Amino acid sequence: MTTMQAGAQTPEIEVENLVVRYGAVAAVGPVSFNVEQGEQLTLLGPSGCGKTTTLRAIAGLERPSAGAIRIRGETMYDEARGINLPAERRGLSMVFQSYAIWPHMTVFDNVAYGLRVRRNSAAEIDEKVRKALDLVKMGAYAERNASQLSGGQQQRVAVARACAFSPKVLLFDEPLSNLDAKLRAEMRIELRELQHRLGVTSVYVTHDLEEALAMSDRIVVMRAGHIEQSGSPGEIYNYPRTAFVADFVGSANLISGRLRPDLATDGRIALEADGGNILYGDPHGRRPGPNPVMSVRTVHLQLSVAPPAASVNVWPIVVRRAIFLGDLTQVHVDWGGRELVIRQTAAGTLAEGATAYLSIEPGHCVLLEPE
Amino acid sequence: MSTALAHPAHRPGRVVSAQMVAMAVVIAVVAIFVLYPIFYLLQAALDVGAPNVRPPTAYGLDNFSALSKYWEIMLNTLVVTFAATIMALVFGFLTAWILTRTNVPFQRTLEQLMAVPYYVTPLLGALAWNFLGAPESGFINQLWRGMGGHGALIDITSAMGIAWVMALFEGSVAFVMIGAVMKSMDPALEEASQLVGAGRWRTMLRVTLPLVAPGVLGAAIFVFAEMLGSFSAALVLGTPARFYVITTAIYQFVSQYPPRLPLAAAMGVSLFAVMFLMLYLYRRVTANRSFVTISGKAFRPRTMDMGWLRWVLFAICALYVFLSVVLPVATLVYASVQKLAVAFPKADNFTLDNYRTALSLNAVRSALSNSLVLGVLTATIGVALTGLLAWMIQRSRLPGRGVLEYIVMFPQAVPRLVFAFGMMWAWVVLPLPIYGTFWILLIAYLAVFLPLGVRTISGVIMQLDKSLDECGQVCGASWGFRLRTITAPLLRPGLLAAWLLIFVASVRELGASILLMGPDSKVMTPAIAEAFFSTSSELTAAMALIQTFVVGAAMVLFMLITRRAAGVRA
Repeated sequence: MTTMQAGAQTPEIEVENLVVRYGAVAAVGPVSFNVEQGEQLTLLGPSGCGKTTTLRAIAGLERPSAGAIRIRGETMYDEARGINLPAERRGLSMVFQSYAIWPHMTVFDNVAYGLRVRRNSAAEIDEKVRKALDLVKMGAYAERNASQLSGGQQQRVAVARACAFSPKVLLFDEPLSNLDAKLRAEMRIELRELQHRLGVTSVYVTHDLEEALAMSDRIVVMRAGHIEQSGSPGEIYNYPRTAFVADFVGSANLISGRLRPDLATDGRIALEADGGNILYGDPHGRRPGPNPVMSVRTVHLQLSVAPPAASVNVWPIVVRRAIFLGDLTQVHVDWGGRELVIRQTAAGTLAEGATAYLSIEPGHCVLLEPE
Repeated sequence: MSTALAHPAHRPGRVVSAQMVAMAVVIAVVAIFVLYPIFYLLQAALDVGAPNVRPPTAYGLDNFSALSKYWEIMLNTLVVTFAATIMALVFGFLTAWILTRTNVPFQRTLEQLMAVPYYVTPLLGALAWNFLGAPESGFINQLWRGMGGHGALIDITSAMGIAWVMALFEGSVAFVMIGAVMKSMDPALEEASQLVGAGRWRTMLRVTLPLVAPGVLGAAIFVFAEMLGSFSAALVLGTPARFYVITTAIYQFVSQYPPRLPLAAAMGVSLFAVMFLMLYLYRRVTANRSFVTISGKAFRPRTMDMGWLRWVLFAICALYVFLSVVLPVATLVYASVQKLAVAFPKADNFTLDNYRTALSLNAVRSALSNSLVLGVLTATIGVALTGLLAWMIQRSRLPGRGVLEYIVMFPQAVPRLVFAFGMMWAWVVLPLPIYGTFWILLIAYLAVFLPLGVRTISGVIMQLDKSLDECGQVCGASWGFRLRTITAPLLRPGLLAAWLLIFVASVRELGASILLMGPDSKVMTPAIAEAFFSTSSELTAAMALIQTFVVGAAMVLFMLITRRAAGVRA
């Protein structure tokens, strides 16, 4: 379940025990992961977690201090063997956060750059540039001066430039973070479609959860230079491995307590929360540590006025606060002496002080691994 | 996993690239240019053996202890330097504040005019103010006596007079530095103070001044170091009256017969040590500026509405421009068309002979063309060299680039006269027949203007987004290709500005040239200084104006060419 194709094929990108140090400070690592051919992998994490540094090390723009990087089986970097290919000889392509559109060139010249470096003929360059620009719907702007473009247009040109010379691997360094929210949502879909059409392997760096969930086949969550969890978007979202992932990947309630093996049934585990409530949940194949914690996403808690039919994980509660957020309403309730946060649609009747029933599907209560 | 074995024909990445070679060459050249003369300067200062025997037969500190006999020169230097620094800071602070923080009229025009004194040059300024303020013949003193006064109203050859000229023509750096600090101050910091109820003056005292203070202190230290090494004004105004400061004393020791070279070297080393300390302090002061005055946010500094007072402030700025540009140039023009320069015009005193003489002098003609050729060569080679250096310091991941930065900025701490002295020693012993030729001047200029070029180009590089180059890299372009297609075109405006700055600086250079030029390699500025001592001051004025005109014309020509070239490209 963790890798797309577990076949005998060589992974497109292999990162092995990579360490990047700035002076005495280890910014990354050691981290290891593979990216399969045609796979879209996202490095997700808060700023300063080392995701961009990792990407830049793959690109050859950052000098690592230990480990190895191979692309299509070829060693790009290997500390032990003293190999470090410069970025220009790695045959990758990259879309930069700042777009890095060269302001002294036309759109055409920008996109043609990689082709000219590769000494394509004029006719070939012309054809490939037109194709790349059409791909991002910028065909009409070829002769424009690059400095006259808007942010969104620059973004498209940057993508066209990165694709024009048909690289096998595309790297994206937070390419959408400088766009406004609406444009970002549009470009997200477009980029995903583009990746599928080109069948290109890509590594995408972002701190935006929605972007990561929407764009990737697989997500690697990073924290303080290390990999916290790696898996499909669904797995990351539904089964966070640690409190950090649960918290970073969308909002979650973290509930600690002590295990009650005497109450566990049907592969479920039972947790006596600190306030005394018994919570049934899914161990997800994990072994509980000495201080077990369960995670429940705020959208997975249900509030109802009438008592629900379920027999476990149902409690009467009192609403402390209800905050209208637009699409959702965020409700804070008192649950065994602590606060739980629920986000759901149509909670209009639940005003402060109202009583209601709280229920949680046991499958949505996930045991976290000990930190 | 045996993927690595599947591709045995793998080429290791550590090949000697063009980038590495270029960098190694640049570092070697810079080290030779900068450190080699310093080594010889130190050697000469410690030489206590038989005179004129090299290498020295004995080493010791006797030359340094002998310096105590010259305490008067040290005292002169300190008085002039302090006075000049204070004057320059007062001018600089006042004009910077007026131009950045008040609604003074014609603010933009005034700001552009503030750069002009730099182009007028200290030598020209000193010559002009000598006409104006010499105790006997000075125009101002003539007018004073004409109105019934007695004696001299001002004495420009006194310590204060020399400091005044230094501050006027070399102090503009204070304006630039303090102005930059005031411009970069976030007005929100002051507004916050006013919002909590502090009045305008309280805000000024408690918020504005503490924020500006580190910048002003930095400027003070920097200007002090500059003034310590200043040469032209003291040479022209002080030497005739036997008033010496340390730089003119060094020059005297080197050029007199018999020369007292070890003593001059010891003086040079002491001066260098003090300046080095000052610049180290300057770096400390500016590096520790943890104040949040400079942020990436764009803002305009808030300007104060001064009411009718703004015309007074305008008058202050206009007066500065008048004293440092209009009056000196007008004085030189007026003096250069007189047989004997006097304040009151007389018809039979006017003549164009000075220009005729100046233009017919072979020395002037060859010196002028030498200066221009040297200027073009220095600027062209200098821009290539300092461009590479700035790039290496700012952008490369080269291990020794911090050291490189120090070496490059080194000449900043050495007065050009002292540096030239070290070079003189250094190249005399070398088998290369360079000493006394045109080429030693070129090498000297390249070395002493390293900091100027590197600072100018670094400023532009720092504004350039790093990923513009990185993107070319991941597109597969080699270093040379990127340099040609991305870096150089983007840096073009900065490179042109640096070219012009280095050109002007080398054409007007005095301190290094006066020691290094040989009889067959005369250059213009020292030739003017020599003419001041050996011929009439009216002829000197004509020469200085010819130089100014030719340099101005060359600058205009350069700007026309580059603008046309830019026009063709667009």
